[in-house]
Amino acid sequence: MNTSPRKLNLDGWDDRYEQLRREGLREPAYGGPLRRHVVREKDFRLEQLQFDNSAAALRLWNFLLTENERLHQARANGDKIVGTMKDLGTVPVMAYALPGVRAFYPDGAWWTPCLMECSDRLLQQAEAMGIDASFCPVRAMLPAFENGEHFPRPDLLVCSTGAVCDDFSAIAQRLEHLGHSIFWWEIPRRRQPDPQEASCALPGNLFAPQVQVDCVREELQRVAQSLGKLAGQPLDDQTLAGGIRKANEVRRLLQALRTTVYSATAAPLPALEMLVAEMLAIHFCSDREETIAVLEDLLAEVQSRVRQNQFVIGADAVRVFWVNPVADLRAMNLLEELGGRICGSDYMFTHALDLIPENLPPLDALARTALADPMVGPTADRAGRIVRECQAGHAEAVVVSRIPGASHCAREGEIILETVRRKIGIPAIELEIPPVCDAMLPTLGSRLQALIETAKARRTK
Amino acid sequence: MEVFLTSPWIPAEWVRAHGLQPRGIWSAETFQPGAWPLSAGVCAFAEAAVRFAEVRTDSAVIFSTACDQLRRGFDAAILRGQRRAFLFNLPATWQTAAAGQIFRSELERLGQFLLAIGGRAPSPEMLRQEMLQSGGRRKQLLESAPASSPRGFVEAVARFYWDGAFSPLPPAAPVNQIPLALVGGPFLAPHWKVLDEIEAAGGRVVLNATETGERSLSPAFEIEAGANQPFDVLVQSCCDNIVDVFQRPNTRLYSWLKPRLASRHVRGIVLWLFTGCDLWRAEAQTLRETFGLPVLLLEAGGEPGAAPRELNRLQAFVETLR
Repeated sequence: MNTSPRKLNLDGWDDRYEQLRREGLREPAYGGPLRRHVVREKDFRLEQLQFDNSAAALRLWNFLLTENERLHQARANGDKIVGTMKDLGTVPVMAYALPGVRAFYPDGAWWTPCLMECSDRLLQQAEAMGIDASFCPVRAMLPAFENGEHFPRPDLLVCSTGAVCDDFSAIAQRLEHLGHSIFWWEIPRRRQPDPQEASCALPGNLFAPQVQVDCVREELQRVAQSLGKLAGQPLDDQTLAGGIRKANEVRRLLQALRTTVYSATAAPLPALEMLVAEMLAIHFCSDREETIAVLEDLLAEVQSRVRQNQFVIGADAVRVFWVNPVADLRAMNLLEELGGRICGSDYMFTHALDLIPENLPPLDALARTALADPMVGPTADRAGRIVRECQAGHAEAVVVSRIPGASHCAREGEIILETVRRKIGIPAIELEIPPVCDAMLPTLGSRLQALIETAKARRTK
Repeated sequence: MEVFLTSPWIPAEWVRAHGLQPRGIWSAETFQPGAWPLSAGVCAFAEAAVRFAEVRTDSAVIFSTACDQLRRGFDAAILRGQRRAFLFNLPATWQTAAAGQIFRSELERLGQFLLAIGGRAPSPEMLRQEMLQSGGRRKQLLESAPASSPRGFVEAVARFYWDGAFSPLPPAAPVNQIPLALVGGPFLAPHWKVLDEIEAAGGRVVLNATETGERSLSPAFEIEAGANQPFDVLVQSCCDNIVDVFQRPNTRLYSWLKPRLASRHVRGIVLWLFTGCDLWRAEAQTLRETFGLPVLLLEAGGEPGAAPRELNRLQAFVETLR
C-alpha cells in the first residue's frame, strides 16, 4: 500500500487503518477506525470527505469526532462542565485553569448538521423553536440543548454579549427564554484610543483604550468568580497564570504548525486537517492535555514531510487565504480539488492563536486578548490583518466564505474584499457555503475555478 | 449643525446641551430605507443610515452598537468617507456597574466629539434645563398615548424626535376595533400607512411599542431642585430606562410589555421588523409563549405601508381575532 502522504476517502482509510494496526499503531482511548463514526454517530458527511492519510490525522479526527462522548464521560467522572458561548477562546482558558472543570462551545453544534448531513434534523427542530433558516447554522445548538442527544447539559452557561453577532445573540437569548440560565458578560466593540486617552497594546498589533480593557477585566473577574464557585476553588491569579501558560503551549504549537504548513513550498497537510487543528485552539476540544499531544503529533508529521519533500498538494497549487470557517467541511476539499491550497486563514478566532501576554496580571492579559477578537473590532482592523498575512504568506487569492444567515457576513465581506483589492490587488471572491453544499457544488466549483484560473493567469504576467 | 441619532437611547438632551440640533434619523424626510438594492442579509434601516451618512457630510451621524448591522454600518460609513460619524457603544448588559461605566464613558466621549464638530461645552444648568424640558415633553406624550389616535401619536413622536417639540395629539375615535400592539424596531413615516391598513382591516394599535413609539419615551428625569450633577442623573436615568431587544438578558422588554398589554386589553401582537433583523425576528416565538397572544411578523418593505402580500396577511390576522 502506498503510504506516502496523500489524501484518502473513507474507504481508503478502512484499509489504511488496518495497515497502521498491523504496523503497531498505538492509539489513545478515543481511537479507532474513522468508519465507526458513520456507523455509530451517523456522521455521514465523512463518506464525502478526503482525509490526510497519516496516523497523526487519524488521531486528530478521532479526537474531534469523540468530543461529545468524552464530555459525557467527563461528567460521569465528576467533572464540572461549562458551556461557553461566542467569545471563541477566552473563557476556556479560565475554565481549564481550574481542576475538574471542562469547557466546551455549544456553538460547535453548528457543524453537526454538516457531519450528519442533516439527518439529525437539528435545523428543522430549531425552526420549530422559532429560529428559522434566516439565522446562522449555529441555531443547531438550540435543539441540541433541549434534546440532550449531543453534548451534556452544562453546569454553567457563559455567553459574551455586546459586540457579537446578532444571530448568535438572538439564539442565545432564545435559549435563555427556554429555561437555560445564562451568565452574560459584556465585550464592548473595540475602538481606537482617542489621542487624549490612555492606550493599551493588545495581541495582534492592536490597541484599545485603557477604559475598555478595564471594563473587560471587570467582566472577566465576574466570570472568574462564577467559575471558581462552580469548581469549589477560587480562580486566583496564580491558578489563572498556570492556565494561560498551558493555553500558550497550545498556541505555540499551532503557530509552529501554521508556519510550517503555510510557508512550505507545497502543502504538507491538507486544508481540512488544518482547519480542524486550528479549531482546537478555542477550547482544546474539551481536553487540553490531549490537544497538546494531538498537535505535537501533527507538527512532527508535517516537519518530517517537509524534510523529506513530501506533500499532499503540489507546488503549482494557487496559494489562497481563506476567511471565515466553512459550514460544510467539504468546501475545503473542493478548493484543493480545483488547484488551490491554503496559505493563511482567519477562521474568526485569530485572537485565540495569538499568544496571551504572560508578563501582565493574568486577568488583564486575558482582557486584552478578548478585545483582540477580530469580530469585536472594526472590520477594517480585521481586513488589515488579512492583508498583512496575505503578504507574509504570498497569497495569490482570497476567499471570504459567507456563513448563511450570519449577521456579520452581511457587511464584512464587502469591506474585506475592497481592502484586499485596494491594498494588494489580488483576486478575491465571496462564497456562501451552506451546511451541506452538494447542491451548490457546481456553482461553488465554478466560482472557485474562476478564482484559481485568474490567479494562475497573473503568474505569467 | 444637525446631529442625526440612529438610536433613541442616545440622549438627545446631551447633544442639544452642546448647542447642536439633535435629530432622530428616522424622522428625516430624506431617510429612505428600502430605496436601494441590498446585499444578502443587509438590514434596510442600517443601509439607509450608511447612505444617509454618505450624503449628509454637512451633518454628523451617530451610529450605535445596538445591533451588528448598525455597528458594521458605521464601519462602512467610515470606509465611504464620512468623517463626522460616531459610534456610540450601547452596553448590552445592564445589571452591572461596568455597564453603567461604559454608558458614562461613551457619553463623555460623545461630548468630546460634539465639541470637535463645533459644539460648546454645556454647563450643568444648561443640561438640566434641556433634561427638564425634554423629560416634560416625553411625559406629555406618554400620558396622551393611550387615548390618542395611533397615526396622530406616531406623528407627534416623530415631531418630538425631530425638533424636541410637543404637538397636541388628536384623540382616537371611539370605535369597536380589535386592540393590537405594534412591537419591534424603528417604525418610519413611509410605513405609517400600516396603521391605516390595520384600522381598515378592523384592528387598532393601542400600544405602539416600536423603537420610535412609546417604548423609547423614557420617564421624565428626576432632578432634585438645586442638584448640580445633572450629568449623573442623565447617565443613571438612561441606563435604567433602556428597554430594548438587544439587551442581555432582554427581560426588561418583557417586564415593560406585560402590564401595558394587559391594561390595554391587547388581543394580538404585530411584530414589526426590517428584513435581516435577527434580534427582533428571534423574539416572535418568545412573545407568543410569554403572553399567550397571537403574533404576526410584518416585514418593512420599500413601499409605503405594507407590501400586498404582507397586507393580505395582516388582514387575515385581524380577521382571525374577531
